[in-house]
Amino acid sequence: MSDSIYYFIQQIANGLTIGSTYALIAIGYTMVYGIIGMINFAHGEVYMIGTYISFIVLAGLTMLGFDNVFIMVGLAMMVSIMIASAYGFTIEKVAYKPLRSSKRLIALISAIGMSIFLQNYIRLAQGSRDIAMPSLIQGGFLLGDPDGSHILISYMQVIIIVTTIICMAGLTLFISRSRMGRACRASAQDIGMTNLLGINSNNVIATTFIIGASLAAVAGTLLGMYYGVVNPYVGFIAGLKAFTAAVLGGIGSIPGAMLGGLLLGVSESLTAGYFTAEYKDVVAFSLLILILLFMPQGILGKPEVEKI
Amino acid sequence: MKSMVKKSLIGLGVSAALMGTSIAQAEIKIALAGPVSGPVAQYGDMQFIGAEMAIEQINKAGGVNGEKLVGVKYDDACDPKQAVAVANKIVNDGIKFVVGHLCSSSTQPASDIYEDEGIVMVTAASTNPDITLQGYQMIFRTIGLDSLQGPVAGRFIAEKVKPKNIAVIHDKQQYGEGIATAVKSTVEKAGYNVVMFEGITAGDKDFSALVAKLKKNNVDFVYYGGYHPELGLILRQSKELGLQSQFMGPEGVGNKDISSIAGPASEGLLVTLPPSFEKDPKNASLVQAFKDKNQDPTGPFVMPAYSAVQVMADSMKATGSTDSEEVAEYMHKTAFSTPIGNVKFDEKGDLTSFNFVVYNWHQDGTKSEAK
Amino acid sequence: MQSRFSSAALAAGVTLILGFMVLGISFSVEGVVPTLEVSESHKIIGLLIGAGLVFLLQYFRAEVSKVTTKMKGDGQAHELPAFMRTEKQQRVLAFWAVGALLLFPFLSSRGAVDIATLTLIYVMLGLGLNVVVGLAGLLDLGYVGFYAVGAYSYALLNLYFDMSFWMALPIAGALAALFGYLLGFPVLRLRGDYLAIVTLGFGEIIRILLNNWTELTGGPNGIARIPKPTLFGLEFSRRPSEEGATTFHEFFGISYSSEYKVIFLYLMALLLVLLTIYVIRRLVRMPIGRAWEALREDDIACRSLGLNPTNIKLGAFTIGASFAGFAGSFFAARQGFISPESFTFIESAIILAIVVLGGMGSQLGVVLAACAMTILPEMAREFDEYRMLLFGLMMVLMMIWRPQGLLPMKRPHLELKRD
Repeated sequence: MSDSIYYFIQQIANGLTIGSTYALIAIGYTMVYGIIGMINFAHGEVYMIGTYISFIVLAGLTMLGFDNVFIMVGLAMMVSIMIASAYGFTIEKVAYKPLRSSKRLIALISAIGMSIFLQNYIRLAQGSRDIAMPSLIQGGFLLGDPDGSHILISYMQVIIIVTTIICMAGLTLFISRSRMGRACRASAQDIGMTNLLGINSNNVIATTFIIGASLAAVAGTLLGMYYGVVNPYVGFIAGLKAFTAAVLGGIGSIPGAMLGGLLLGVSESLTAGYFTAEYKDVVAFSLLILILLFMPQGILGKPEVEKI
Repeated sequence: MKSMVKKSLIGLGVSAALMGTSIAQAEIKIALAGPVSGPVAQYGDMQFIGAEMAIEQINKAGGVNGEKLVGVKYDDACDPKQAVAVANKIVNDGIKFVVGHLCSSSTQPASDIYEDEGIVMVTAASTNPDITLQGYQMIFRTIGLDSLQGPVAGRFIAEKVKPKNIAVIHDKQQYGEGIATAVKSTVEKAGYNVVMFEGITAGDKDFSALVAKLKKNNVDFVYYGGYHPELGLILRQSKELGLQSQFMGPEGVGNKDISSIAGPASEGLLVTLPPSFEKDPKNASLVQAFKDKNQDPTGPFVMPAYSAVQVMADSMKATGSTDSEEVAEYMHKTAFSTPIGNVKFDEKGDLTSFNFVVYNWHQDGTKSEAK
Repeated sequence: MQSRFSSAALAAGVTLILGFMVLGISFSVEGVVPTLEVSESHKIIGLLIGAGLVFLLQYFRAEVSKVTTKMKGDGQAHELPAFMRTEKQQRVLAFWAVGALLLFPFLSSRGAVDIATLTLIYVMLGLGLNVVVGLAGLLDLGYVGFYAVGAYSYALLNLYFDMSFWMALPIAGALAALFGYLLGFPVLRLRGDYLAIVTLGFGEIIRILLNNWTELTGGPNGIARIPKPTLFGLEFSRRPSEEGATTFHEFFGISYSSEYKVIFLYLMALLLVLLTIYVIRRLVRMPIGRAWEALREDDIACRSLGLNPTNIKLGAFTIGASFAGFAGSFFAARQGFISPESFTFIESAIILAIVVLGGMGSQLGVVLAACAMTILPEMAREFDEYRMLLFGLMMVLMMIWRPQGLLPMKRPHLELKRD
């Protein structure tokens, strides 16, 4: 009996780990969608680039002889955030800004093009093979009998969950308290009106892209260290999952993205744990279709009022 | 790569010039079909250097029936759609002999066309049993089948490892699932119980749920059918999540990248691999020839590709003709002595015997034979 | 002048920094522990050239934008060249074009005919998706799912029920249409972007199911030995597959040539493409076609005029899916072997790019774009490495500079004869 409870908790913990990284990436989708109403399809690639950058920094520091793990990870994360947000900013300037007044379909296709471009750019630059990084943080918390049934939660899993919570809390504070956060919220409601009131919407949009990319870089660094590998194709599938999470939770809503990410991670983990791993993705997408059928606005999304 | 081709072409030119101009300048073209571009291009290179070396050496030794062999590269990028286009192009160009393709999923649609057009095809890398299942006359291979590799692994598990709870995992791809199924049936025949038989998604990164499940089922032996990126992650996450079991995989995981992904967790992994042909003393001069050209003879497809060209050339010499049907008929009947040992084809075009050896993998990317 | 230079220099500097982190440093392939090294010189040179380009583009931004505005046109359809303006001239031109296409296989090589068949399959896919995306304005990112349904329908019907190509073709089309209907029924209530992601998920689900359902579909092994179509039961093989059957060359008393089979498949694909073009041309002029376009332009206006948007969208979705089904059957017949790896998302993206590149809604544009997308990569094989990179870049640049496509759609209109 206790055996199966332990197993259940273990699977939930695994699901929460992967789910919190989905949530981090999903924020980028949901904020951009909330303000300019487009799917930033290239966001997953920003996550992938973030992982590459942190790997490069980690490998560089190792070669220079650093051995303090916390400094290394901190530095890797900082550089990764800087470069990834620069990429996010540039993507917006190059591929989306000229299209802001055109139809949504046009912007979406441009985003898909950008995603394909970035993926192949990294493939050509870094090769298509997996690049591996030895695990820096090992070990974990053990609950229960080490030889019998137990739950093992690795330090890395704890770090991922805790970092996610910190990022989310910081973001919530930023959005609710700061001046820029207020401008973001106002722009999400009516971008034309906020513009008239003297807020530079270009800055607001750029900030959104930078925040989204930074969180993606955090997720990239954490997941990169957790799994230890990266290749140019990880961005696409992670982006797809994170977008699914954003839609599940209600696109445009930041708490929704968190909820959606966790829900998706746990459902995947439970599918793999109790059914079979082959159908993990099928369950994820079916969940999305089902939820959209009954709640077209997602779990926490506001029902959309059509403006004419 | 380019400069190597150029050098070998110069070599060809020089050797032809030395032989004098009395020989007619006729040439026999051999198509080398495989990925030049795309994610598996590195495996394509193994096939190309092997085949090109064979062509060069045969030409140096006087060619075939007084004619020179010429290798022509075709790129299929391991994409089934492009493989069909390449096959049609080969038909178009009037080439009657093909070494290739590399990926089983490319070889399969292409082999239909070759059989139909009476073109001899010898693949040095496609291991899927389905390819020759259809009883084709023109299709051969100089590499062992997945269904041969599976039983070797299965017997090793049953006779040497003797585990209690076996799990067989595969990546739901042609190669991985084929081997995994063969392993499963072999160990089941030996009276073992396979407690888990499950597929994963290739390209996936998170296997923590799977590892927890393995742990729950008290699995002490895991066979994984697939390639190194996924197994590397499974090994790594198993170590992190405290799963203690023995892992084993096919040649697709026997690549030093698995050690860089899994790190210390790759120590003691069991791998079935073709024997290292380059270690065979009979091949010493050939290995030296590769080293002289700064090429790596240790890739698993280099020697099979060399042998593929050699078998075709020998048959052309013996029959004294370049008629593909005659050559194929001769190939079915005869035994050849090649760098991969004695080669004899059965009626389906497969090798009658191909050895696999079980190795112990080490965390620095080296291997040693498992006892 | 000063600020122009400094802003251009700034842009180039940012490019250098961003590029250097991924282009300038790479991981060494040697050894087990990851180590860094400075990249090969061609990558560095590429980076410098890229930064230089960015600098020039920024410096001459005003001049560049003049050119691009010209390229953009006025957003309206361009005037056709003089020789194809009237209906009659167009008909003559079409007649000659079809004639040339019919003669083509007899004048060229087998490889070229094979590529042409593949191109025709993409034309068919492009035309089908054009109905959904171009005409009805529904963004479908899972179109490859219907393509897979069509291909597997023929392969499975042949495998289990021994059905011939011609029997299976309409069934494959109908099955794909049914899938389109079943998917469309619930999801078409969703708004544009939601629809895009749901269809994407659907395409992935179909592929994963095909891959996992090994008992029925052979899983990752795919299905091999799918026969080519026959001409009224006459096979194109060297020897008949069954005792007592006659092959094409025996029937007509000509010697065997493997080219007949390839040519025949090409001609059949051509026929089906022409039929598709004809059917869609008629549909566009019918009330439903007009309703599609009206809906694309303004959803609310449509509803207020008494049109039922769900039914209209469903119609577009179903019809579009059925064309993908036909194309899938042809693909299966051409390949002789299919497996799930031929139906990935990237295939959907390529079909979508064909529609967008051609000019959404424009049939001729889609045909041209499909030709460009399949023939150009074949001709430039050495650029294969860069193909997808350029492809992505082109999608972005097209959207910025010429969002209406190569040959934008011209609305069918009638004019009074003036003579």
